[in-house]
Amino acid sequence: MNTRSLRFRLILWYAGLLTGVFLLCGAIMCQALRHYLKESLAQSLLRRTHQIATSLLAGVEKNGEPFVVEQIKERYAPENYDRFVRLSRRDGTIIYASGRAASFNPAGLPPTTAQDSPRLARLPDGNRLLMVAEEYQTPSGRDYVIESGGPMQPIDTVLSHLIFLLLLGIPVVVLAAVGGGSILVGRALAPVVQIARSAEQITLHNLDGPLPLTPTGDELEQLSLALNRMISRLREAFDQNRRFLADASHELRTPLTALRGELESAVEQAQLVPGLRDQVGSALEEVDRLAKIVQTLFAISRLDAGEAQQEWRRFDLARLAAGTADQMSLLAEDKGISVNCNTEEEVNVEGDRARIKQVVVNLLDNAIKYTPPGGSIHLNVRARDRKAVLEVADTGIGIPALALPHVFERFFRVDKARSREIGGAGLGLAIVKSICAAHGGQIEVESAESRGSRFTVELPLAPTERAQTTV
Amino acid sequence: MRLLVIEDEKKVADFVARGLRAERFAVDVAYDGDSGWEMASMCDYDLVILDLMLPGLGGAEILRRLRRAKKEAPILILSARDGTAQKVEHFEAGADDYLTKPFAFAELLVRVKALLRRGPVNRASVLRVADLELDRLAQQVKRAGKKIELTAKEYALLEYLASHAGRVLSRTMIIEHVWDQSFEGLTNIVDVYVRHLRGKVDDPHPRKLIRTVRGVGYCVSDEAEP
Repeated sequence: MNTRSLRFRLILWYAGLLTGVFLLCGAIMCQALRHYLKESLAQSLLRRTHQIATSLLAGVEKNGEPFVVEQIKERYAPENYDRFVRLSRRDGTIIYASGRAASFNPAGLPPTTAQDSPRLARLPDGNRLLMVAEEYQTPSGRDYVIESGGPMQPIDTVLSHLIFLLLLGIPVVVLAAVGGGSILVGRALAPVVQIARSAEQITLHNLDGPLPLTPTGDELEQLSLALNRMISRLREAFDQNRRFLADASHELRTPLTALRGELESAVEQAQLVPGLRDQVGSALEEVDRLAKIVQTLFAISRLDAGEAQQEWRRFDLARLAAGTADQMSLLAEDKGISVNCNTEEEVNVEGDRARIKQVVVNLLDNAIKYTPPGGSIHLNVRARDRKAVLEVADTGIGIPALALPHVFERFFRVDKARSREIGGAGLGLAIVKSICAAHGGQIEVESAESRGSRFTVELPLAPTERAQTTV
Repeated sequence: MRLLVIEDEKKVADFVARGLRAERFAVDVAYDGDSGWEMASMCDYDLVILDLMLPGLGGAEILRRLRRAKKEAPILILSARDGTAQKVEHFEAGADDYLTKPFAFAELLVRVKALLRRGPVNRASVLRVADLELDRLAQQVKRAGKKIELTAKEYALLEYLASHAGRVLSRTMIIEHVWDQSFEGLTNIVDVYVRHLRGKVDDPHPRKLIRTVRGVGYCVSDEAEP
């Protein structure tokens, strides 16, 4: 799982916040409940002491202390109700103290005064009692202290139950929320994933299709609208570039024609002095070079524009490559370079045969140009992973690593002085790349300086079912 | 033979006309589409050289009108665009040949002569240039009576040059004829083959037949070098 993905981070935040909020709420709830229960216990205990004071102690002078004790036992029976009651005089003499109740044993409970009531008292048996005390003065001036207590245990039980429920419930709720949130976030982000996927497929040669729009009116629709606008601006820029290339090469042709015609007729003049003839010839050579550049630029612009290929048919790349190598063998022989051609039986591709042949010609020509005498060139054609692979490897001067990423750019030359001497314009590999792209293929290069270069062209193999019909 | 050149680029029109006149053709020139159409429809020309991009009436429209008017003169299209699609379109509209700018005059001439069925190519089964002899049936070459062994490409190159003896052929023409257009980007394949050919044909003899015309191309001729 991608921990940096928007989805993961959103859900993590979401789950963290939710857990925090639940824990805070739970804590406040427990505290409030505890306070409330304690308060109501204290209230009921105080009511008890008050009753004892007003209804029993008020008549203590008339009825005597033993009567009061009897009455307390009879009326309230604290042991039965799980309560504790103690009646003592001001001087500390205990008149009455209830005994062992259902859940606690009050033996050894320290006295509680009205001033520090209510308070929690810990019993030697481990139980805690909430204690209240009330002072009462009879009309004749006798002072009594009435203490009453109730166990905290039921309150603690309720609270621990609540905490248990919360601890059990919060993870369940959070998990459910995370699950639901994950689905929701996934659904919300699905268009983003889709936009990314379609944006991935957009290349220089495929700027046509707009991104899919989900007419939801939300931010994602705005995003895809903005991206689409960007794509169309890009397309416009590329189109302009292409049109410029086409227009420029087109506009250059007519003046070049006139220039060449004039120079050619000048060269035909018999009375021309030999020096001048040579100069005009040199000018004509340059016109020729210009014309070739113009022609190649125009071809590249047409290929990049994806103009319909007329002569699209199926052919054997292996045979084409071997035949081309054979036609060019004299060029290699002339330089003392050996060409080793190693091709599989039949590697069928579909496309413009003349254009693909141009790829082979340009790659072989480059290999011959940049390989010193005594070197060798290997030409391989084979089918691999539903692709036709053509490799041209040489033992030439190679390409410096810095220049390697640029060799397919228009007018790029590794060593300007050297290539001019050889006669290239820096367009040979650019058109090779455009041809490969127009055929749905690609070209790659590996090179080590002074060790040689290897160009690898991959083209889609022609569908096999038609192979059977042609055999 | 009367030819009409319809081309709005004055310089191009003029050098084409001048070159054709030097070949003893009668040449009329129209510098825009309307006068071109007028002239072409009034007179019966033996051949029309038609530029496509014209002010006024466009070249494609003139082509259609001429064919509709049943003018049967061959039409050679000059165009600044080279696209297979365009070529096919114009051949369908009735063009007879198609030449992309910039072109070498020699190529225009070869095509004009081919269209006029004057036979630009010497069809004889034996070609002779000075003491060089090509037997086209046996594909054998002799010089001063001695047989010369040539590879298939060398033979094709020599035959092409010899069949246009006296005429300078551009590298582009040679490549398109002897190889194919895929080799057009190459700078030196023609030069390398010509050098090998010279080694076999010319080097053993004092009289050189294969000439280089710098900037233009190659030529087989029995005239002395100027």
